Amino acid sequence: MYPPKLEAIINLFESLPEIERRETLVSYADNAKKQEPRPGEIFNLEDVRKDEECADTVGVYLQVDDEGKAHFRMTLGPEVQTLTRAMTAILCKGLDGRTPQEVLELPSDFVTRIVGAELVRVRSQTIYYVLTRIKGICKVYLDRQRMAEVA
Amino acid sequence: MTTSPTQYAHPEALVDAEWLEKHLNDDGIRIIESNEDILLYDTGHIPGAVHIDWRSDLQDQVIRDYIAPEKFSELCSRNGISPETTCIFYGDKANWWACYALWAFRLFGHEKVKILNGGRDKWKTDGRPVTREVPKFPQTNYPVPKKRLDKEIRAFADEALAQSKAGQPLIDVRSPGEFKGEITHMAEYPQEGVLRGGHIPGAKSVPWKTAANDDSTFKPPSELAKIYLEQCGLKPGTDTVVYCRIGERSSHTWFVLTYLLGLDNVRNYDGSWTEWGNKVGAPIEKSA
Repeated sequence: MYPPKLEAIINLFESLPEIERRETLVSYADNAKKQEPRPGEIFNLEDVRKDEECADTVGVYLQVDDEGKAHFRMTLGPEVQTLTRAMTAILCKGLDGRTPQEVLELPSDFVTRIVGAELVRVRSQTIYYVLTRIKGICKVYLDRQRMAEVA
Repeated sequence: MTTSPTQYAHPEALVDAEWLEKHLNDDGIRIIESNEDILLYDTGHIPGAVHIDWRSDLQDQVIRDYIAPEKFSELCSRNGISPETTCIFYGDKANWWACYALWAFRLFGHEKVKILNGGRDKWKTDGRPVTREVPKFPQTNYPVPKKRLDKEIRAFADEALAQSKAGQPLIDVRSPGEFKGEITHMAEYPQEGVLRGGHIPGAKSVPWKTAANDDSTFKPPSELAKIYLEQCGLKPGTDTVVYCRIGERSSHTWFVLTYLLGLDNVRNYDGSWTEWGNKVGAPIEKSA
């Protein structure tokens, strides 16, 4: 149902007691900076903006390789919450190598399995925001592909 | 009360970062971090600080209310807090949740409370030390508070309505857009499920940020007096009710009015707009 890399992350989090779950989320959040674009990387699409529902600017960068597999990079402003940072690192890793169509079809119900019920609350709903943005850039990519095929 | 004071009414209710850094290991104090970002404490906090979460620690998990006095006693005891402990609160978002936690501690009658001026943001910006080490303190035996000060510092919806009908001061500390009813959530925040926009009839709009500098510290006494006493017309001895969406931003203003300006009879309507904006039959104004 989920991409294997993401499934492995979900299984890991579900096996952790609450304290270790928090520690692992913080560890992923610490690694969010490693998901930033690297010098020389070229992307098919870049989407950098600040939406009302997010506290700071979030950038999503999509690269689709010759085999049609998607690779993501992201940039986060300093005001972005820790959970959102963690989810950024998790999704960049967990969705790496899937096709844009597979990413678009991914259900979002895994988020609570990773984060846990205790940490999901109204004011932390922006953890879904990163997934929404990743899906958004995949949709734009696919729409452009279809338009190019029609043309 | 002078309208141009040169010092806060209760200067002892504030500590600055420089003082705190020199007193981290003092006996008789407990540093308490309280944030909106649930994992922020875990990413690094002031050495010796404990974490108290506004929802899982201070609120009842079933009913929309605060914990029972027995639970407050347990919370304090496991954090090594006694009634004589001076609790110094700080947190993110210019101390919104720190003020909220302080207000909740006052609900249970804990008297020795202070705010770290500038909160977490200023502490970090100043380059002061942080750690991920979670401190352990000897368990105390905090006595179960005999009551909560709901009558004294908290307002409920019917009391906010009475305040409105009597033309008594009601301060809406939300953003102007929320006050006018143009938006039903805070800018940059997800929806918190409010059906109606606007404000309680008769409320004045004084956004919480009016009381804060850009570095999250509180504005000086003379400026606060100008805003709340001169421009807003608040007076000592008059019942005043403050509200926002869920009671955290209004806790910030409640702290300013109560401790920095020394107004008595200020109550926080913590049900705030997430109650009022959904309440059947609650009157609403949408004017500017």
